[in-house]
Amino acid sequence: MEEQIDIDVCGLEPPEPLERVLEALSTLKPGQCLRMLIDREPRPLYGILERNHFAYEPHLRDDYLYEIHIRHKP
Amino acid sequence: MQRVLSFEQTPPLNVPLRFFLSAPLFALAASLVLLWHGDSALTSRWNPSVLAMTHLLTLGFLGLCMIGAVLQILPVIAGVEVPKPRTTASWVHGLLSLGAVFLASGFLAEQRWLFAAALLLLGAAFLVFLGACRVGLKGVESENSTLKAVRLALLALAATVVLGLALGSTFAGPLALPVLMLTDLHAAWGLAGWLGLLVVAVAFQVVPMFQVTEIYPRAIARWLALAIFVVLGIVSIAMAVSPQTRQLAESASALAALLYAVFGIITWRLIWKRKRPKSEPTTFFWYTGLASLVAASLLFALAYAYPALRASPAYPLFLGVLFVIGFGYSVVNGMLYKIVPFLVWYHLQDRMFDAGLKAPNVRQVISEDASRWQFIAHALALALLLAALIWPQHLARAAALCFFISSFWLWINLLGAAKVYRTCLAKAGAPS
Repeated sequence: MEEQIDIDVCGLEPPEPLERVLEALSTLKPGQCLRMLIDREPRPLYGILERNHFAYEPHLRDDYLYEIHIRHKP
Repeated sequence: MQRVLSFEQTPPLNVPLRFFLSAPLFALAASLVLLWHGDSALTSRWNPSVLAMTHLLTLGFLGLCMIGAVLQILPVIAGVEVPKPRTTASWVHGLLSLGAVFLASGFLAEQRWLFAAALLLLGAAFLVFLGACRVGLKGVESENSTLKAVRLALLALAATVVLGLALGSTFAGPLALPVLMLTDLHAAWGLAGWLGLLVVAVAFQVVPMFQVTEIYPRAIARWLALAIFVVLGIVSIAMAVSPQTRQLAESASALAALLYAVFGIITWRLIWKRKRPKSEPTTFFWYTGLASLVAASLLFALAYAYPALRASPAYPLFLGVLFVIGFGYSVVNGMLYKIVPFLVWYHLQDRMFDAGLKAPNVRQVISEDASRWQFIAHALALALLLAALIWPQHLARAAALCFFISSFWLWINLLGAAKVYRTCLAKAGAPS
């Protein structure tokens, strides 16, 4: 069973959301999934994730919040 | 309304930064003009020193910051790539800066050749800038309210430039044009069009994002910019058609002022009512800017009701100081303190994360103390400038000195941010 770590960065002033997620990523282990909740699409994050071998799936929820699932690439 | 800001397509840092770093020099030049001429510079809106200061502030300070901001936000909010961003930025920056210097010198020295040179340089600057935006925006759907308002602001800029070139050509050559009407329209499109609409457009994004407020009411985000633009169109047509439609032009102008008052009050309310109020210098700049905007709008509406007020030579100067410095300068100054550290941080963290290093916190790029003290200097300069319109003999030079100090301080704070960027980049071993 995949372990899930939740991080809610809604309502934080930039660049705190990005700082917090980078912090969380530095301790993310293979087999874990980081579930991030944010109030806008964090496009700046995507380039960093791609360059650092993370896979991500963004979903726009009905309440206009974005939920991003991030894992290490296999 | 959904929040949409992506930094994936951020242009190189030096594209917006060159505009932001050189803009305060024009505010310094404007304050030196006032320092030199003193109270004799504040007699009427037609005084050459007033015209020189106005254009140093609107073309130089505000124009440079706003164009730098547009080049930054088009890729970020709409994925719009302006063709050759570095080359476009270099040309627009060079031509606009030089053009603003020539135009201000033209007013001060009253030399035709200076106006002619200014017209060529400024015409070319805006042709390149608006042409690049046109190419970038071609075929792009305006799906968000910011992009729609930016398009309207750019159209208003085009109108301002055409009217300005027509006016400039009356100074440069023997062309006979209805100067009074063209000047009013030029000022209306430049201030209530280009400056006002771009602030509205950017506020839809940056107020909820950096002040952590609720988003703007849907109706405001969707209709406000368009309503202002249409009203300005009605004002222009009514003014140009015949003296009989003058009443319509005046009523429509008052309506535009009220629409800006609505924007000012709603934005104030959003910031005031936010869940986690944490006032920092940018918040104070917003409050100052919004209070000035509402004051300018009410003054304008009041003059509509009491024509005697309009006859006073101090009235247009009050309106100008409130709108250009109180509103425009304050909100741009405040936003620079969010946007410059954010861009520096973003470009650094991207490179430093890859190099296994931690980028400095945004508050280390420009400290809150530094921006707070500069805010106090700015607020004092604004108060003195307004007071100098009532007591010019006593206060004109003091106001100029205070405005010089505030603008110089802003410049030093922004240069400090650029220095942090270079130092950290050197640490990460990356080429700048």
